[in-house]
Amino acid sequence: MNKKILAASVIGLAVLVLYPVLIPNPYYVHLLETILIYAILLFGLDIVVGYTGQVSLGHAGLFGIGSYVSGVLVFKLGAPIWVALPASVAGAAFFGAVLALPALRVTGPYLAMVTLAFGTIIQILINEMTFLTEGPMGIKIAKPTLLGHKLSPVEFYYLVAVLMVLSLIVVHRILKSHLGRAFEALRDSPIASDCMGVSVYRYKVYAFVISAGLAGLAGGLYAYSEEYISPNTYNFELTIMFLLAMIMGGRKTRSGALIGALIVVMLPSLLADIELFRQIAVAAAVLGVIGAAIALAKKTSTVRGVIVPLAATIGMAAFSFKLENIVDWRLTIFGLMTLFVVYYLQEGIVGYLQGLFGKGAHHVHAVAGAGGVKPFEHAQGGAPGSVLLDAQQVLMQFGGLKALNQVNLTVQQGAVHGLIGPNGSGKSTMMNVLTGIYRPTGGQVQFAGAVISGRTPSQIALGGVARTFQNVQLFGEMTATENVLVGLHNTFRSNVADVMLQTPRCKQEEAAARARAAAILEFVGLSGMANEEARNLPYGKQRLLEIGRALGLSPRLLLLDEPAAGLTAPDIKELMAIIRKIREHGITVILIEHHMDVVMALSDTVTVLDFGQKICEGAPATVQCDPRVIDAYLGGSSEAHGGIAPAAAT
Amino acid sequence: MDILLQLVFSGIALGMIYAVIAFGYQLTFATSGTLNFGQGEALMLGALVGLSLVSNIHGGPYMHYLLMIPLVIVFGALQGVLVEWIGVRPSIKIKSEFGWIMSTIALAIIFKNVAENIWGKDDLTFPSPLDSAPFQILGANVQPMQVAVVVGALAIMLVVEIFNRYSIYGKAVVATANDRDAAGLMGINTGMVITFSYALSSATAAFAGVLVAPLTLTGATMGASLGLKAFAVAIIGGLTSGVGAIVGGLILGIAETTTGFYISTGYKEVPGLLLLLLVLAVKPSGLFGKAAIKKV
Amino acid sequence: MNFKLKLFVATAVLGFSASALAAEPIKIGVAGPFTGGSAPMGVSMRDGVKLAVAEINAKGGVLGRPLQLIERDDEAKNERGVQIAQELINKEHVVATVGYINTGVALASQRFYQDAKIPVMNNVATGSIVTKQFADQPENYIFRNSANDTIQSSMIVHEAIENRKFKKVAILADSTNYGQLGREDLEKALEKKGVKAVAVEKYNLKDVDMTPQLLKAKQAGAEAVLTYGIGPELAQIANGMEKLGWKVPMIGSWTLSMGNFIDNAGKNGNGARMPQTFIQDPNTPKRKAFIDAYVKAYNPPNGRMPSPVSAAQGYDSVYLLAAAIKQAGSTDGPKIKAALESLSEKIDGVVTTYNKPYTKDNHEAITADITVFGEVKDGHVVLAK
Repeated sequence: MNKKILAASVIGLAVLVLYPVLIPNPYYVHLLETILIYAILLFGLDIVVGYTGQVSLGHAGLFGIGSYVSGVLVFKLGAPIWVALPASVAGAAFFGAVLALPALRVTGPYLAMVTLAFGTIIQILINEMTFLTEGPMGIKIAKPTLLGHKLSPVEFYYLVAVLMVLSLIVVHRILKSHLGRAFEALRDSPIASDCMGVSVYRYKVYAFVISAGLAGLAGGLYAYSEEYISPNTYNFELTIMFLLAMIMGGRKTRSGALIGALIVVMLPSLLADIELFRQIAVAAAVLGVIGAAIALAKKTSTVRGVIVPLAATIGMAAFSFKLENIVDWRLTIFGLMTLFVVYYLQEGIVGYLQGLFGKGAHHVHAVAGAGGVKPFEHAQGGAPGSVLLDAQQVLMQFGGLKALNQVNLTVQQGAVHGLIGPNGSGKSTMMNVLTGIYRPTGGQVQFAGAVISGRTPSQIALGGVARTFQNVQLFGEMTATENVLVGLHNTFRSNVADVMLQTPRCKQEEAAARARAAAILEFVGLSGMANEEARNLPYGKQRLLEIGRALGLSPRLLLLDEPAAGLTAPDIKELMAIIRKIREHGITVILIEHHMDVVMALSDTVTVLDFGQKICEGAPATVQCDPRVIDAYLGGSSEAHGGIAPAAAT
Repeated sequence: MDILLQLVFSGIALGMIYAVIAFGYQLTFATSGTLNFGQGEALMLGALVGLSLVSNIHGGPYMHYLLMIPLVIVFGALQGVLVEWIGVRPSIKIKSEFGWIMSTIALAIIFKNVAENIWGKDDLTFPSPLDSAPFQILGANVQPMQVAVVVGALAIMLVVEIFNRYSIYGKAVVATANDRDAAGLMGINTGMVITFSYALSSATAAFAGVLVAPLTLTGATMGASLGLKAFAVAIIGGLTSGVGAIVGGLILGIAETTTGFYISTGYKEVPGLLLLLLVLAVKPSGLFGKAAIKKV
Repeated sequence: MNFKLKLFVATAVLGFSASALAAEPIKIGVAGPFTGGSAPMGVSMRDGVKLAVAEINAKGGVLGRPLQLIERDDEAKNERGVQIAQELINKEHVVATVGYINTGVALASQRFYQDAKIPVMNNVATGSIVTKQFADQPENYIFRNSANDTIQSSMIVHEAIENRKFKKVAILADSTNYGQLGREDLEKALEKKGVKAVAVEKYNLKDVDMTPQLLKAKQAGAEAVLTYGIGPELAQIANGMEKLGWKVPMIGSWTLSMGNFIDNAGKNGNGARMPQTFIQDPNTPKRKAFIDAYVKAYNPPNGRMPSPVSAAQGYDSVYLLAAAIKQAGSTDGPKIKAALESLSEKIDGVVTTYNKPYTKDNHEAITADITVFGEVKDGHVVLAK
């Protein structure tokens, strides 16, 4: 841990410990307790919304499940806290899984709707199942007894503080591990993620279940803290408060969760006191003016960019003087804050502050040298020259269009097999079929003797087929090293428990992977940019990085989709050298390219597609001269159109 | 048997309201790939504005119910434009899905709070333009207003369908729905089309609001639950099919009224929501929707 | 001269310090729903309370100190009540709290006051166990000056079974603590008369369509519907009956007098009967003065108080509390409680004249003999004949 974080942690812990001593009023202790409980939930919500980028509108429901599991166990069975809290975690995680498994098959607005429906159903069920939950009449419980001693409010506060710190550590460890990288990857590029062996679906479910468990823990603690729970509390407004807290505080940071929790808990009290609100609104307006002035002076923003937030903050201050009573407008303030944050403060307060001080997102630095580790293994299995990939009678139909029409493709092990054809001929479609992104309408694909058509992309990837993409699909917000580490995800056997406890196995795997990542970056010549965010790399380097990432899978077959597109001549030479080195390691390569010199120089065999059909196949020289191939690229012989006869073919 | 028929008729009227709101979701989803999470609030505002015009709460009544309808539709259209302009357009520009989801939700919250402050937090009665005494169909009681709801809902959906098919502007909407980029290249102002689809969507919701208000209580909270259930209808029927919205609405409405009677009124929302989860798990494109293979 | 100056200075200093002490207000919490379906009751209660406090302060306050109200809106939500109770006790340091309209909110929140030894004067909530929640403890800090549900339910049952001679009745109650506990009281009262309700139905707050519940009651042959709920949903019951073309009398708890029931039910609400402690009828000088003052200060629409019972009881609750503080000579919770339990002064309230209303074991100021039946007629509540 670096010095700044260490210092911040010590201060934070000191504040937590000394707070009830300095401010013994039970009302204020309870306030901080609520903030800490919300923070626990927000750590989990951040994983789902901030890291994997899924919008969940049902976390109030999971929070409610946590509260009611504890509440019912204590009320009906007199269960002790060390039974009730784990039961809350497990109960909420279970419901999270039940919800996530069907829901996460769909994306975007569908998930938002499903979680919204789920949250509503949970509230209804809690309300109606009076035999279990006492319905609207609610459940009263008392502070828990620990080791025979009934906890006083202050002692319970310390328990909550301890659990919050533990949750923070656990979440931090998960997010810094290969699991955290998987979460980020699947948001940045789900397709690439799947093709690197990180099943998007599976990891979305993991993320959701982890966040559900945390919500359950928070809910259980909330029941003890309030000493009274009723279904009313776990409504849509609470879910929005959680989301607002998270985006306002700043996603992908733990401190953001704490700040966000502080804001939403203090918000109602703030809005109840009009004088205080006016003071804060004026202060915010002043800060807004100063911030805008700095931004304009530093030229980080234009007048147009600052005018709206500036008008908003000043307008809010003016509005606050006109009103006598702000409580009635509480929700409008809420809504306006949400709008403001969504458009102008996308990185939240923490992100904004980091930006002001010139600090970017925090990335762990790469290992300095590769230390002689091999970037990737020599391809295992099979004999050179044997058939590695066999696509038989592949038919890919979109509605009425046959993108691939009964195409046969056989690739021999150890070869570089070129795949060319004019635009729209079906090359990328073939790539997608081979890697499982499309399920072929007809026909079959066999790899190393096993049928792979019909399997998921991540299964195929883990089976030894890696690829790059025509439109670069890097994980933009992650560094070059981190991108390669995602490719190396298949080397990790540790599970969530290993990560939470930081077992030796987990640490070893991480160290080994980092060494390999450094080796791979050296192999593709990107060692100098190891800590650079992928989206900042020059285009040519990005394409090389994609190749490096794919090599992390230690594949037997590597599919390269137009790797030379947009590269300058020196970059192309570098690329060709790399492809030759890859071939020397026994890896079979399928190469889609438009640069004829690259294809012809590297390939052993070339297949030509046109309008979804194979029109020619053979050695590069033969294919180059084939009249059908020339027709396809140049659009038919001019004799047919009554033009001049072409010069004799060379 | 009487009772079952009674419940079916109530369910049909209820279901048609859901269908009209779901129809609104389809309109905006088709052209922009976005939904207005505050569609229920559009309905609520339409109902309340209509109430102010036809009842005495704000110094009225100012006009007859029929005259009020076009005004409410215009109001709805303007409200839709506002939502699109503030909530959706910036998100489409920055290509953030989270953006329009959160901002339409935020706008919904704001509208509801503003409505509470203008019209109060209590639920009010909407004067019914038709006699509230029920007449008998096949032994079950049906109120004239319930029939008006069904007729009105079908009428508005039919009008929009005809517009889409037979007018050039309608064709522009359909083109944008099919392929936004190509439509843009053909000279169609897709931004305007999207704004128009939001205006139309909120206008139909506002119209649904004044249809349903005489049957229930009108208040700031009436929209939220309707909006959610209309979501369920849109998903169950399919986000691309108008017929699907109607069928989905009928299924949901009847499921709700029968559950309310035979099991308990508290549980009446559950079958619809469970059906939503089920459909999403098994056939996400809905009963009548077309499954699209995403091209990469 | 010197002596006179010293005397003058001393008097001035004493005077200032005395007035500084005298200026320190006595904080009283007011907790109730000021928004939402129960708001007519909460707002009326609060306004009655404010009227009483203004009158008392105009006469010099209590113990030479003015009363200061700390108002908090619990929105009829139990969990809000819990939070408000903690805030009023620990942050605002109130001496006592008047309020609670909703039984559920009272039941959830009162224990914080009981633990802190601060008296609560329930001026509207009628759930029978509200004052009995801590009856097993040596000191009970919960008092009430409204007609509790034991009284109301037996009156309702008497009206339905004895007076109107109905044999089959249905009970429709909401799902809150108020509705469900009230339903239990009704069932107990019916049992005493040897009658069992033919249908017992439940509904949620904000429900609009009462058709399922009414159909079941109709099918069972009910001749009357006994209700325990609040205004908006009661109006839906009345309107629902008209929708079904099945009109039977509604006899229920006092909430049938709420403004939002009368307005939303319209003509369908006529004839509904409910127990009342106070009807907006200036039939005594005290009541006339109260009604006039209320209407003048708060200008309710059409001059009709949203909930006359809540306003009157709110008004009386402050006078009871003020008398106790005066008698105790201090703002100490246990002393106020002891004074309430042995009030020597006769208090001329709007609902009734209170003569030793409380004892150590009885914390209910209202008895059955001062409760009458009201009836909804053309937009108002009148005394039932």
